Amino acid sequence: MADLSQLLINGLAIGSVYALAAIGFVIVYSATGVVNFAAGQFVMFGTFAGVAMLINARLPWPSGYGAALAAMALFGALFFFVVYLPLRKSPIVTIIVATVAVGITMQNVALLTFGSWPFRLPSPVEGWTVTIAGTVVPAHFVAVIVVTAVMVGLLWLLFYRTPVGIGMRAVAQDIQAARLMGLKVNRLLALSWILAALLAGVAGLMLGPIWFADVNMGDPIALKAFAATIIGGFGSLPGAIVGGMFVGLSEVLGASYVSSAYKDLISFGIMIGFLLVRPQGVFGERIQDRG
Amino acid sequence: MSILQARAITKQFGGLLALSAVELTIAAGEFVAVIGPNGAGKSTLLNILTGLLMPDGGQVLFDGKDITRLATHKRVRSGLGRTFQHGRTFARLTVLENVMIGAAIRGDRTERAIRDAALAVLDQMGLAAEANESIGSLSYGRRRMVELCRALACEPRVLLLDEPAAGLNSGEVDQLVDRLTELRARQQLTIVLIEHNMGMVMRLAERIAVLNFGRKIADGPPAQVQADPAVLSAYLGHGYNRASV
Amino acid sequence: MRVPFLITAVIVSAGVLLSLVLPDYHLRLLNLSVVSAIAVIGLNFAFGYAGLISLGHAAFVGMGAYGLAILTTRMGWSPWRAMLVATTATAAFAGLIGLPLLRLKGHYLALATLGLNVSFYIVAANWIDLTGGTNGISRIPELTIAGRAIAGERPFLWFGLAVLAAITIVAFMIHTSRYGRAMIAVRDDETAAAMSGIDVTMTKIAAFVLSAVCAAIAGCLFACHVRFVAPEDFSYAHSITYLAMLIVGGESTIVGAILGAAVLTFLPEWLRFLGSAYLAFFGLMMLAILVFLPSGIAGLGRYLPRLRSPTRAAPASVSAKELGP
Repeated sequence: MADLSQLLINGLAIGSVYALAAIGFVIVYSATGVVNFAAGQFVMFGTFAGVAMLINARLPWPSGYGAALAAMALFGALFFFVVYLPLRKSPIVTIIVATVAVGITMQNVALLTFGSWPFRLPSPVEGWTVTIAGTVVPAHFVAVIVVTAVMVGLLWLLFYRTPVGIGMRAVAQDIQAARLMGLKVNRLLALSWILAALLAGVAGLMLGPIWFADVNMGDPIALKAFAATIIGGFGSLPGAIVGGMFVGLSEVLGASYVSSAYKDLISFGIMIGFLLVRPQGVFGERIQDRG
Repeated sequence: MSILQARAITKQFGGLLALSAVELTIAAGEFVAVIGPNGAGKSTLLNILTGLLMPDGGQVLFDGKDITRLATHKRVRSGLGRTFQHGRTFARLTVLENVMIGAAIRGDRTERAIRDAALAVLDQMGLAAEANESIGSLSYGRRRMVELCRALACEPRVLLLDEPAAGLNSGEVDQLVDRLTELRARQQLTIVLIEHNMGMVMRLAERIAVLNFGRKIADGPPAQVQADPAVLSAYLGHGYNRASV
Repeated sequence: MRVPFLITAVIVSAGVLLSLVLPDYHLRLLNLSVVSAIAVIGLNFAFGYAGLISLGHAAFVGMGAYGLAILTTRMGWSPWRAMLVATTATAAFAGLIGLPLLRLKGHYLALATLGLNVSFYIVAANWIDLTGGTNGISRIPELTIAGRAIAGERPFLWFGLAVLAAITIVAFMIHTSRYGRAMIAVRDDETAAAMSGIDVTMTKIAAFVLSAVCAAIAGCLFACHVRFVAPEDFSYAHSITYLAMLIVGGESTIVGAILGAAVLTFLPEWLRFLGSAYLAFFGLMMLAILVFLPSGIAGLGRYLPRLRSPTRAAPASVSAKELGP
């Protein structure tokens, strides 16, 4: 049983990272209708922002993390102006290819800046362990789960208790009506992208110590985030969380009990299964006039 | 013998009862108008008749055969044609190609025959000159005419028109009325017309069915429907009486 | 039919001309362009005409390539026979999977096809007994005509151009037929298409199968030319590349498919002078093209001879249309 609880914690930790990436993806999709195929590279940027601040600039933890997240926020704003605004009236496929193109650029900028050798991004709780149900687990994994829960709580507060967050939800539901109500729609859209970038940043900083920081890490993460949002329900935040956890768990459990080589096939098989049988996922998507 | 029949059609969208046990019987060759205030369920009924929506209860019969679950394209092949509110045309095809889509309904036709049939319809409707124009370069009224041509090229026996006059100026409406009248004179075509333009309805319809809040509240010759108190109160509110007309 | 023949003749002549002047390295790129062009013409049916967002096109290319590789190296078949069977099998697979899959639209379909591509990659990389895993399959025999093997860049280019020409002509014939129009109608307005007697599901499946046939042919040609197949050649990155080729070239045009394939194959080369930053610039250039040239390169042609109204209809964005109240 010790084995299983270790696997479960691993799965939940990885799942939390996927959930954070998926949440960012869902926020952007709900608000702007954009299916951001560079979502994985956003997370990769988060990890490397951490590398830049903590390893290269040798900042201490709080300011290092803060600086990394500030950099991510800036990047989110940049993305809004340079990629989203010019393309917001384009058809969905153009946007998909455009975000992929930007993803390629991001990947290569990271490659040029940091080289191709993977980095090890340390965790603030490096080396500590926690004992749960008889198993010894790296403290970082528990930290990831806790941080994700805190982030989800903060997001809930943002979206349901602050005017800004309610405005973002309004924009996500009906952009025309939001405009007519006098909401500063462009500002809220920019905020959606910034928020998504921040979440990806947190995901990247959490993921760094678990995997290695590698410029190619973006693609596998994106795929898992997509699978998570499909399984959980495309426009739904709780869905992104549930989906992320599910994908993380099935990956870890699948690798252990079924086959390590085919573990990803399991997640994608389930994703395709959902698409064929219940495309709206577990929590469903509001039926909207989006492609 | 009715050519198209809606029997006890019921449709619910979540909490909204869009149609409630609606009965409509169309005889071959008739010109029936379906009117009613906005939200009455007219387009929903049309969508059910054409197979774009499935009813929650009731049946649709065509030539006596149950087509309630039949796929839309098969209904078209059996002789049911339709135009849409606001007009739906194919943006990337020319005017002629749009109509050729309809003319291709007969599987055995050669490319040449399809083209000729489409040109013939365009000619009848006075659009032959614009055959090679892109659809986007036409005015709204002409575009709706192209849509009508496409529906006619499918050689329907029953033609369902969803607010064909919406957005047309009075000159275009007159043209439309003339064309429809010519059509009826030329061939045995059954027409079901959803319209808000009462002038047009009164000029063309032999019978009028009135829907309100998903229910049919009147069904009869124009003069009778015009005087029906239920119809008047549906359009103009309660407490309205004939004396104030 | 004159214009299509003319265009095909121009393309083939250009190709033959280049084959005589370019060095081998560039000929290799040209060959890759030709193979990609064949695949992208297929994608044009599925996406350009019928509006199906397929991010799994490379998987079909891979099925053709691996099919031929396995049948020739493991079972000793002749490449021609293997090509026929691999292409047919890929088409059949596309038809089967199309039935459930093509009920999806827009980004759902995109992600489903992406999932398929990834699944294909995982299987190709891990089913070592059948596919050789990440080591792939090597020593695939070349195609032979009248006893002579099609070896070397130049002979393969001539052969490839011939195949491309044939496929281009067929594509134009389909485009101007009722079937091509039906596909275009389905993308422009699915509801109106159904209401015009078009069997939308069958049309979509036909477009999908057609795209798979072209992809499989491209895959077989690839396998016989490079003589080596590995999973990385058919990853979803390649699917995105095919889509990008189509969009950059000019979606829903056959000429665009060919132009896009050529441009995007050569662009990384032309950018090599930027050194290690060239891929980053490649991404930015793609973005710029998408922003400033939404109709792609072929779309520029619309501004030439007849200066018709600039509001030439763009392909309908793939979104669900409302049925009405």
